Amino acid sequence: MVHFYESELVDTIDGFQCKSYSNQHPTGYVIVKPKYIPKEALKGEGLKYRFLFEKCMVRFNLFAKKDKLINYVKQFREKFPDYIYDCPITKNWYFVVPESKIKTVHDGRKGLQEFLKVPKRDLDEYLTLLSELIEFLIKSGVDDKNLGIMHSTLLGNYTPGTSDMDIIIYGKDNGWKILDYLKTAKHKQLHWKTDKEWAEYYQEHKTSESSHFTEEEYVRHMGRKRYEGMFGGTVFTLFTVEGPNETWFEWGEEKYDPLGTVTIKGKVTDHYNSHVRPGYYEITDGEVVDKEDNAQIDPSIPIKRVVTYSIPFVQQALKGEEITACGLFELVTPKSGEKYYRVVVGYFDAYISDRREKEFIKSNL
Amino acid sequence: MLIYLIGGKRNLLNPTFKMHYYESSMITTKEGIHCQVYGNQHPDGKILVKPKYIPTDKISSDSLPYRFISGRKMNRLNLWTDKDKLKIYFDDFAKAYSKYIFKSPIHDTSPLFFAVPKEDIERAYSPSEGLAELMSIPTKDMDEHLKAIAEFASFLLKSGIKLKDLGITYSTLMGHYSPNMSDINIVVYGKKKFWDLMEFLEKNSHKDLRWKTYGEWEDFYKKRNRHMIHKKEIYIENMYRKKSEGFFKENLFVIFAVENDDEAWFKWGEESYRNMRVAKFKGKVMGNKNSVVRPGCYEITDAKFISGDESCKVLSISKVVFYSRDYCMIAYPNEKIEFSGVVEEVIPQIGETYYRVVIGYFDAYLDKRRDEEYIKVLED
Repeated sequence: MVHFYESELVDTIDGFQCKSYSNQHPTGYVIVKPKYIPKEALKGEGLKYRFLFEKCMVRFNLFAKKDKLINYVKQFREKFPDYIYDCPITKNWYFVVPESKIKTVHDGRKGLQEFLKVPKRDLDEYLTLLSELIEFLIKSGVDDKNLGIMHSTLLGNYTPGTSDMDIIIYGKDNGWKILDYLKTAKHKQLHWKTDKEWAEYYQEHKTSESSHFTEEEYVRHMGRKRYEGMFGGTVFTLFTVEGPNETWFEWGEEKYDPLGTVTIKGKVTDHYNSHVRPGYYEITDGEVVDKEDNAQIDPSIPIKRVVTYSIPFVQQALKGEEITACGLFELVTPKSGEKYYRVVVGYFDAYISDRREKEFIKSNL
Repeated sequence: MLIYLIGGKRNLLNPTFKMHYYESSMITTKEGIHCQVYGNQHPDGKILVKPKYIPTDKISSDSLPYRFISGRKMNRLNLWTDKDKLKIYFDDFAKAYSKYIFKSPIHDTSPLFFAVPKEDIERAYSPSEGLAELMSIPTKDMDEHLKAIAEFASFLLKSGIKLKDLGITYSTLMGHYSPNMSDINIVVYGKKKFWDLMEFLEKNSHKDLRWKTYGEWEDFYKKRNRHMIHKKEIYIENMYRKKSEGFFKENLFVIFAVENDDEAWFKWGEESYRNMRVAKFKGKVMGNKNSVVRPGCYEITDAKFISGDESCKVLSISKVVFYSRDYCMIAYPNEKIEFSGVVEEVIPQIGETYYRVVIGYFDAYLDKRRDEEYIKVLED
């Protein structure tokens, strides 16, 4: 079991740029999502290209057309088997970077501290806006030392007016503190999408996730979230990551048996861990409402958790709300304690299987 | 083992392998310093550079601009900042990064050189490899800056030059450019190819290509010490004939020539140099073919002493060497120039001793020489 912050950027010795995809990792590996892969490494048909740091890179996108993605993952697995981890405890697979392949880890927290030392007179319009955003966020009471920057902002290849400002919040309490602060805080540069704008967004950005929602449901779910907004006309996104002593699970302390695609219902009893990746909703009164024919389920074992790796489903439901979720049903056997079931949304394999169109988490808003 | 890309060739090599490092390429050091390669000839085991962005964890100066690059607060080295403060900064640099200060054994009194030992290179960025990569990106996936570069390069290819003989450098290559703000810096590999390209640009037009206006050259003239040296009308007239700088789709472009190894106008170590103090001369340009590179040179005849150290009075100067790209292609054969700088006796391993004047060693920026060293074209 290893702690490594989710959302940290990792460069590999093979020229990949990856993003850490969990706060807990198997020993010797970091679970990641590949972000950019050199063009000469793989054929990127159906994916976008970017010119980054002297190289033509393929932008890895889990939302690319499924047939293209299947082909791409197949190539990847064949050519870079070291970057695929076939997990004995989940019986699933992950993109990983073996420790021996790590070239550079870009520290988002250190990057922000460096950034804050730059005199304002030397900042361009994008960085000036970032500076204002940070000043605004620390009014929540969260110290700037518990914030970080990532992606192009950190690496310096941002485009003013185009690039998002992606902020990391270190610590779950800090995450909720900022998210709660943003429910009421005002700033002249701050704008949250209105219901009308979310409705337009829903119409313009049809995805496999949003397909499970009516326009009205989608607007209600998104309108109350505070992890993505506009600041001075630029999109900002907040990613909360777990500290080493507060991860909600430890790799290897449980084992998981996949049982097939299932839709469940239940009542949320705790949403505290729903703002991290992977995040989860603790539920009670869980019941299966739909399942694959071959899924064997023991009704005496409780359904206790709905887990998400997918960012669109973080902060999706609050304590006391009833949720419906479709995903991979797993029997969880802890090293100590009783067995239970959980539903997992957004494993990598979901994007290249029929679960891609089926998975969702919805609250009864 | 890491892959190092130099001069458009892919080499699975250790960076200490002997290879040609082109001027205007970029290298990053293991400490995170971003350096511009500052010559086409280098001492064994080291690369002459100009540090461009320097991390501020060991040294910093408020007299230099700060930039946030690669997740670090960096100072951008500006040789035209306050001289005294620059001197303090260079002194600090020499203490913090002593291994990057190079004392030349081929100069009796070494000028200030910055050099990166090859084993300290973290990554070398190749302009030609970068442009080839850029041109392979589908147009739909390019931003406006990259589209402009791709279109401009396509236009330049109509001259007959090959893609492998072109490169892209500085912020575009390093990935921290800003569309609509960053310049397009094109590198041409080979002096003859560069001159041929200049001829092409003189004779051909493109709907998105324009040259600097009188007013734009006037603004350029007012910067640095140009207005202190040159007569405005002559300067602007001379700049007009340069085809290495203009606008494409309203992006400023600059085209640099770099020397292939087999066409270098001098080879490091095949000459030694004796400092003869500082003087000003005038003379007639015999050749300017090497005036397109850094360091560049003009071959001179009929040089006459104007002022300076009396010991230089009788010396016959045959070369004017410069490190500042400001002096590239400013004079043509048979034109008269005035030049002021460090006079050096050149002792070749083979051949006869001769004298040259050098403008723009780094130490010149630390004292009054900064404003006193120059090359200017004289009125006929």
